[in-house]
Amino acid sequence: MRSTFFLALALASALFVAAPVVAHHGFSVEFDDSKPVTLTGTVTKMEFMNPHIYFYLDVKDASGKVVNWAFEGSPPNILYRQGWRKDTVKPGDVVTAKGFRARDGAHLVACNTITFQDGRQLSMGNGNVKGYGKN
Amino acid sequence: MTQRSRPPRFVIAALMAVPFLTACSGGTSGRTQASAPPDLNGVWSAPFTPDISKPLGHQPPFTPYAADLFKKEDEIDDPLTQCLPIGPARGIQAGLMPFQIVQTPGVTAILFENQRTFRIINTDARSHPKDPDQTWFGDSIGHWEGDTLIVDTVGLNDRTWLDTAGHQHSDQLHLVERFQKMDNDNIKWTVTFEDPKFYTEPWSITLPIKRQNTEIMSYSCEENEKDRVHLKRTNTKK
Repeated sequence: MRSTFFLALALASALFVAAPVVAHHGFSVEFDDSKPVTLTGTVTKMEFMNPHIYFYLDVKDASGKVVNWAFEGSPPNILYRQGWRKDTVKPGDVVTAKGFRARDGAHLVACNTITFQDGRQLSMGNGNVKGYGKN
Repeated sequence: MTQRSRPPRFVIAALMAVPFLTACSGGTSGRTQASAPPDLNGVWSAPFTPDISKPLGHQPPFTPYAADLFKKEDEIDDPLTQCLPIGPARGIQAGLMPFQIVQTPGVTAILFENQRTFRIINTDARSHPKDPDQTWFGDSIGHWEGDTLIVDTVGLNDRTWLDTAGHQHSDQLHLVERFQKMDNDNIKWTVTFEDPKFYTEPWSITLPIKRQNTEIMSYSCEENEKDRVHLKRTNTKK
């Protein structure tokens, strides 16, 4: 049942993977598409809220220090229509998140995909294209 | 958040009351319809069009003032970045976030999911006010010509953008929209922008509007807004 749900969700997400995000701001005023990042960590919090969803990961850096990163996705209404629910990502889940870093150097990422430990991959609605939210 | 396509009851009740109240108060009577107009009720969406020059095929006919402003524009100044209202035409073009049309004989409302804003289009043969207040969605009047609802909008403020790319307008903007019902699931939407301060002549785009199997959901830009403190002026457009 659970695997069927995630298959459907993954298929639905795939349809949107190249779609630009509908955000209340353009991509380039906040994020830098020349700074892709891939981070693995444990989910500490999920905010399935407007105008963007956020989840937070505790990530160990090279020295072993744990840093809490924020990952931003599309609004919940957009993700809901792709199959997401507020508990799709839960505290305690270990995931790998890909996206682009914030221009100001904050521990903030415009997330385009997350991958669970069992290999399931979901779109965060930001697409994997440069200049999301512009064209 | 269940997915249905029925209008909220309070909206139906409020809109159904308008023609009745107008008649009771001796207001203007609706123009006679030769036949019932097409039914536009439902939830709809147009393709996300963040750069309005794309469907146009070229940049709109800027005045020198507008051309200079467009070159200097930065997405950080987009009113939506500040969580301000989306405006009447951009609300249609926002795409992915749908809108609901609620149609009655005297009033048609467009309920945008985007920030839960709405337009009221009076279709009771009234004229625009002589000196309308300038507002985010302006004053809209409409009438039917066959299968097409024609909507005329004035009284707009100059604070909305036409798109994410930064095409702007003044408070002299005049919109004429044609909502042509093609079949049960399709509307052909043509909008004409007239603004002598920004554009040397009127120009138009046409987009397909398609029925959506969903209902309007919540969207509050301020609910958990965390972006503004991270924004940087980039002007990467030019």
